[in-house]
Amino acid sequence: MPPQPDKGKTTATASSSSSTPAPHNPIAKVIWDGSIPIQFTWDQAEAAAVGSNAVESFFYEAPRCSYFSLLTSHVRKHFVDMALHFIGDDAEVWYDYEGTPLKWHYPIGLLYDIHGLQASAGRGANGSLLPWKITVHFQNYPADKLIKSQAIDSCQDYFMSMIKEADYLRNGSTKKVMNMSKSDQTQLWDGLSSNNYDRFWGMNHKLMLNDGVMARNLPIRIYLPETCPVIQEPVSPVDENSQPKTLRQILHQSLPDLFPLVETGLPVAAAMIHGITPNLDTSAIWASQNMSYPDNFLHFVIIIK
Amino acid sequence: MSNSGTPSSETPPATDSAQEAFGSTSTTPAPAPAEPSGPPASPTTVIANHKKKDTSKVRFQAIGNAPILKQKVYTITASNKFLAVIQFLRKQLDYKHSDPLFLYVNSAFSPAPDEIVHNLFKCFNTDGKLIVNYCTSPAWG
Repeated sequence: MPPQPDKGKTTATASSSSSTPAPHNPIAKVIWDGSIPIQFTWDQAEAAAVGSNAVESFFYEAPRCSYFSLLTSHVRKHFVDMALHFIGDDAEVWYDYEGTPLKWHYPIGLLYDIHGLQASAGRGANGSLLPWKITVHFQNYPADKLIKSQAIDSCQDYFMSMIKEADYLRNGSTKKVMNMSKSDQTQLWDGLSSNNYDRFWGMNHKLMLNDGVMARNLPIRIYLPETCPVIQEPVSPVDENSQPKTLRQILHQSLPDLFPLVETGLPVAAAMIHGITPNLDTSAIWASQNMSYPDNFLHFVIIIK
Repeated sequence: MSNSGTPSSETPPATDSAQEAFGSTSTTPAPAPAEPSGPPASPTTVIANHKKKDTSKVRFQAIGNAPILKQKVYTITASNKFLAVIQFLRKQLDYKHSDPLFLYVNSAFSPAPDEIVHNLFKCFNTDGKLIVNYCTSPAWG
């Protein structure tokens, strides 16, 4: 009898050709699993205009890493089932929180940290904001305040652009992304939009580990309160002695007055990501590789104390 | 947020003022954080300083069949959003809203219209200019 083929080997070869499994990373996994309970309420004026004053809200536990565009089909279906007569395109649907239109191309968790947590800290308010109360609009798209997309799947294009921008910051080109096959690129978005951690991270870890090459710059954006323009600048992950920088050093570079290298009194500001304030002694490259949003950026929301 | 994104705030040629505003940017793209002298600024001051205006030079490069501009380098208010660059280029090309036009930075990626020109300049400028490629059909996905 001929020897049996080595079963272990066969399956290993077969699976590596299709997709690599996500490496074990408990930090990336808990960040991926982070979620926000949201209460979607139909805009009162719109509902009243069609004589539907008592339409039930729609409750949804949204992944922090997801996008409102990805929830629109569920939200629309709920209100259509209730009373809404909607024949428009899903790209017409928009959301606001306390009157501020929410950007559909920002991750939901980032929007919550900016418009929920940062804003309430600015008012000195405490107490739970959950469920997060969002108003849904099916009309009167505020094209002066929000980007008007041609179609609901524009979100995928914007997401891939961010991935490329991040790749450019790390490597000075987008070769790493462009050298991926079309299906490997699509796997990133498919994994995100189907909330499939293994599918997303199975591909994303290649970008994050960068073939072991130290990134030139880290993809980081910093959000100050009061609709201050977003801060993004070249941030090297290492200091002049090639030692990894800490998050404090990184934040100090952009905001030296708010993040002194040595804290002499009570801190005046905190940097929040995914709703938590990480220890500022954390290595910045580690944070970038493990705590970035799926768009490959570290989005730090600054809380003024 | 008041006037950012409005095409009217661009100052087309004005090469001299750009020199002033941007002195040494070609050699040092990232401004080194100044040694703090005296007490640190308050959060209110920090936020106000980040809303200040500056200018960035943008170089437009046509790809494929896209029409070429006679003047290629413009100075644009740095606090503007990338949307202002898109609208400005459309005006220069006399393109209608429905005419397809795709913009890229460094032939690599397409910034969102709400990205800040100053940020793109700081991160991606080449020899003191932000290179913006444009074409009439999608080029780099």
